[in-house]
Amino acid sequence: MTPAVSRSALPLLAAMLVAGRAAGQQTDPRLERLDAATRPAVAALVDSAGRALLPTEPLVQRALEGATKRASGELIVAAVRRFAVELGHARDALGSTASPAELSAGAAALRAGASPTVLARLRQARREPLTMPLAVLADLVASGVPVDSAAAAVLALAARGRDADLVEFRRAVERDIALGAPPAAATAAAATAADMRVNAGARQQRPGRP
Amino acid sequence: MFDQVEDAVERLTRHLRRAVRIDPALDDRVMRAITALPAPGRATWLGEMWRWLRSPHQLTVTPLGGLAAAAAVAVVVVLIRMDSKPPAPHYEESRAFQFVLVAPRATRVSLVGDFNDWDAGRTPMRRTGTEALWTAVVPLVPGRYHYAFFVDGSRWLADPSAPVARDEDYGAPSSVLTVGGGGS
Repeated sequence: MTPAVSRSALPLLAAMLVAGRAAGQQTDPRLERLDAATRPAVAALVDSAGRALLPTEPLVQRALEGATKRASGELIVAAVRRFAVELGHARDALGSTASPAELSAGAAALRAGASPTVLARLRQARREPLTMPLAVLADLVASGVPVDSAAAAVLALAARGRDADLVEFRRAVERDIALGAPPAAATAAAATAADMRVNAGARQQRPGRP
Repeated sequence: MFDQVEDAVERLTRHLRRAVRIDPALDDRVMRAITALPAPGRATWLGEMWRWLRSPHQLTVTPLGGLAAAAAVAVVVVLIRMDSKPPAPHYEESRAFQFVLVAPRATRVSLVGDFNDWDAGRTPMRRTGTEALWTAVVPLVPGRYHYAFFVDGSRWLADPSAPVARDEDYGAPSSVLTVGGGGS
């Protein structure tokens, strides 16, 4: 380029780069529902999560939930920040290939009290998506089932069972707890029943066997 | 004089007519030498390019050309930024889920949750029959959703037929629905 052209093109290039960067950081229009003080804080958290390659949609939804429920700005920011941290921990445990749904369910399981080790073992034990096992684990622990009992049962079932088996297992545990059974005992009984069901299903799928 | 010339021609003819012994390995040596030579076209092209790159040049660009170049660089930068964002979610097949609430005294019920941006106006529930049964059907892709029923614009109710969201942050009840992926 000639010097004259360089002098005119470089500021233009810089301006375009700045504009492109600003466009990349544009706030999600749905966050307009937050008040003016809360919006930039939440937008910054969402932007940080995006830069860390974490899913941002669950964070936006958590903020919108707060806005609809008329929570204070401080509460909304705290909830989004906490959720972002939990998503990061879930990703650490489940690996970088985990889907957004798996990370959300993993974050719920961690908050319920499951350890990152349990999440990592689930990843090793099951090739199919982990969303349902993680959600069932979170729901069981939240229902009062001891973490170790819930983790052992879900780990055993997740390795061979389908999502439908896990849902049925969770329903059986919740039903027995509602009927007065101690959570740990309800989990053990439902796990045994689920294991028999999965084994029976596996036998039926093998041709030539009784 | 003429005889001498004739004699010389005769000797030359005899010399040219004698059998020549050719080394049997000659062909191989020639072909090896040819193969070892650099490809003339490629060597020239690369050499020219290298010489061009090493020698100073003066480019003349119009303001319009400079603008176009700057725009092209900006587009490339923006595209790189877009590529560095998390991968777009897979478009998984959605399934229709029916939500049901029994609320005899309610006059208006909305279904709100992670699937509709928690917008109370987006999914109004329909009252069916005389049993005060409120229903709504929502297509959902695999995932874990928080949701609640918003009754008469003032009251939040969790779904009594679904697990309670224990990771609820705002003090109002919510429920959890998990839609499984493969194998469910």
